[in-house]
Amino acid sequence: MHVEHHQTDILILGTGGAGLFAALHAKQANPDLNVTLAVKGLLGKCGCTRMVQGGYNVALAAGDSIERHFMDSIEGGKWLPRQDLAWRLVTGAVERIRELENEVGCFFDRNPDGTLHQKAFAGQTFDRTVHKGDLTGIEIINRLMEQVLALDVDKLEEHRAIELVPAADGSGLAGVLLIDMRTGVYRFVQARAVLLATGGGPTMYRYHTPSGDKSCDGLAMALRLGLALRDMEMVQFHPTGLLGGPDTRMTGTVLEEGLRGAGGYLLNGAQERFMANYDPKGERATRDIVSRAIYAEMRAGRTTPMGGIYISMGHLGRDKVAKSFPGMVKRCADCGFDLAGGLVEVVPTAHYLMGGVEFEVDCSTAIPGLFAAGEDCGGVHGANRLGGNGVANSTVFGGIAGDSMAAFIAAGAPLRDPDKSVIDAGIARAERPFALKPGDLHGLRDRLSDTMWDDVGILRDATGLARGTEKLADHRAELAETGLSGSSRAFNLTWHDWLNLDSLLTASEVITASAQAREDSRGAHFREDFPETGNLDSTRYTRVRGDGAGRLTIDTVPVDFSIVRPGETILKDAATAAQ
Amino acid sequence: MSDTVQTPTAEPGGSGIKTLEVQIWRGGAEGAFETFSVPRRDNQTVLDVVTEVQRHHVPDLAYRFACRVGVCGSCAMTVNGTPRWTCRTHVGKVAGDGKLSIAPLRNLPVIRDLVTDMGEFFDKWTKAGGKFTGTRSRAEPMAEVDPTSRARRNADAGIECINCAVCYSACDVVSWDKDYLGPAALNRAWTLLNDSRHAAQNETLAAATAHGGCGSCHTQGSCMRACPVGISPTRSIAGIKRMSLLDFLGMRRS
Repeated sequence: MHVEHHQTDILILGTGGAGLFAALHAKQANPDLNVTLAVKGLLGKCGCTRMVQGGYNVALAAGDSIERHFMDSIEGGKWLPRQDLAWRLVTGAVERIRELENEVGCFFDRNPDGTLHQKAFAGQTFDRTVHKGDLTGIEIINRLMEQVLALDVDKLEEHRAIELVPAADGSGLAGVLLIDMRTGVYRFVQARAVLLATGGGPTMYRYHTPSGDKSCDGLAMALRLGLALRDMEMVQFHPTGLLGGPDTRMTGTVLEEGLRGAGGYLLNGAQERFMANYDPKGERATRDIVSRAIYAEMRAGRTTPMGGIYISMGHLGRDKVAKSFPGMVKRCADCGFDLAGGLVEVVPTAHYLMGGVEFEVDCSTAIPGLFAAGEDCGGVHGANRLGGNGVANSTVFGGIAGDSMAAFIAAGAPLRDPDKSVIDAGIARAERPFALKPGDLHGLRDRLSDTMWDDVGILRDATGLARGTEKLADHRAELAETGLSGSSRAFNLTWHDWLNLDSLLTASEVITASAQAREDSRGAHFREDFPETGNLDSTRYTRVRGDGAGRLTIDTVPVDFSIVRPGETILKDAATAAQ
Repeated sequence: MSDTVQTPTAEPGGSGIKTLEVQIWRGGAEGAFETFSVPRRDNQTVLDVVTEVQRHHVPDLAYRFACRVGVCGSCAMTVNGTPRWTCRTHVGKVAGDGKLSIAPLRNLPVIRDLVTDMGEFFDKWTKAGGKFTGTRSRAEPMAEVDPTSRARRNADAGIECINCAVCYSACDVVSWDKDYLGPAALNRAWTLLNDSRHAAQNETLAAATAHGGCGSCHTQGSCMRACPVGISPTRSIAGIKRMSLLDFLGMRRS
């Protein structure tokens, strides 16, 4: 099979907040560096940073502090975050938001006195979420994209990475094998430093929010390379995804949390409110509690015609709802639903992977030459991510990765010769479906999403997880026998659906194994057979590795409370008050 | 773009159309429409129709989408002759007679089937001066900006562009003048010209008024009518023309 070869100093996989910031910082550190951006869609237009509605958490206002933001993140993460990473997030956010506004050009919303507006967001003790209306991600990505388009960088758009290729001598990473999706040609890009910033995205669940291009490719490649993934059982579900049936891509997309906050009702299939049966805060309870309550109603059969529940806003007044949530009302109307006055069917929907590649504060990984940032990484958020900490994570660590890669190259990072057997194996994996008889690929994708939803979803137990493990093995075997019709490789989305499924199966296996290993409940992970959180002081995180032959090894590692221990705080006020 | 969505049973004639007759462009610049029969469903966007054709009829059908909810601007196509975002266009809005024709956006080179090369669209975005230049660094506090000022309101009116190129495809001037920067790029320049923090005001104004800039607009308003997020590039371009005149007369307010 013909492979085109390229060379660059820095190769960045992904052009969300992490990838674009890395490019900017690397070129700022050394404008002479040759930087190549490879992305599965168009630059800045795929991935999830762009989809951010809420905003960006940062401690700026008088009375707030980075210590307070840190404690909110640690407590929200149920003491599972790696504390030095969480600390770097909250401190880095202050510089990064100024950089976004002052240098990149984001034009965030203001208070009447002209200062930056910061809004309240769930799970935080201070109003610290910077935003641009309810479309903050568009502003951040459009401005970043403009800055990067004006740079002298190489763009490989609609290029899909399929293998991280180590050096033949085992000394580090040599480069990345990609498919040029437009032509179907294989391309090996040799680089002194590579950034993994493809984003996670739990799109293996029946209902999910992330962009359609997301399929956990980065996690699957990292696992094959031998890197450890941590906290992978932690899958965040958003309580209210739009439900439009199985045949529409609008199903699963988010209806924002503010609808419940403003007084929206959740009704079961009998059109009765039910949240008070689960939590005294009713509809205003936190994401995880509301998601579990909705799931319990659905499991009990109290569902709407399409199998979800209703969100109802009409009692607040049609005009008021239309004025307060214009974006949500229009989005629903475009899809045929009346949010302002009628009932809209919703379901909990898989939103974010807190887990990912183990990485260091400088974004390096265990493999020299490979760096990682954003949702591909684990450890920043622990068991739960606060709304508004996601885009902070990708932009803060993306910038750090750019700095680190430039420094790594300045210190003499070599171009390494690739292990050709890994390139051959990557091509063989990608070519496999062309040699097989066509099968029911889309049915298989549905079966995978049913398995993950039913057995590895919002409420878990040992029986379900064991059943899920067996079914995943069946799905894996089925994919290995499912081919494609025709032989065209140019812009063949069905080929990429096959490759997406391969990556999603790998990530699903890791999520399931991690969920089996965690015999307690905290944050996004709930075991009905182990409903208690247990002793926080002995908190351990899960860590999964692959053996290269498809088998996983899992261990649990004590969390190092390097800054603060459970039950304690670093807030001076709170400490004083407690004395 | 405020047409109401009709459910199948409410479609003209109340016939409850069960099947859509869908014509889809196959090939590159040279190509032809192929016709497919697709089940009509209550909750169905044009993107869902395209997906259905890929899944059940043409596995290698080339199309582009990402976010599914109208923020990425990747999935725009020409639907029954009009450029639209397909992920947020309900079939009931455009196929009252049960017929759909789906083609790539015009005014951009076709890669294959429904996919265009958006390179020139973004090159022109940059060429129109569409890049912020600040005066403050990340070590400094952020500028105070009066949210009710005329300039800020002007910027807000145009800032939520998703760069989907629907306006670029709708514009007749673009179709006959390949030098024309187009509505989206000039709209972005206008938001920068109203950004009190933007230091390169003169450069952006010069870029937006140079050959191929705002002077090429014929004020036909196609962009404004086509914009899925309700922005009026026509108004923005008129603003640049006015600002340029005031600048020439030495009367531009800083």
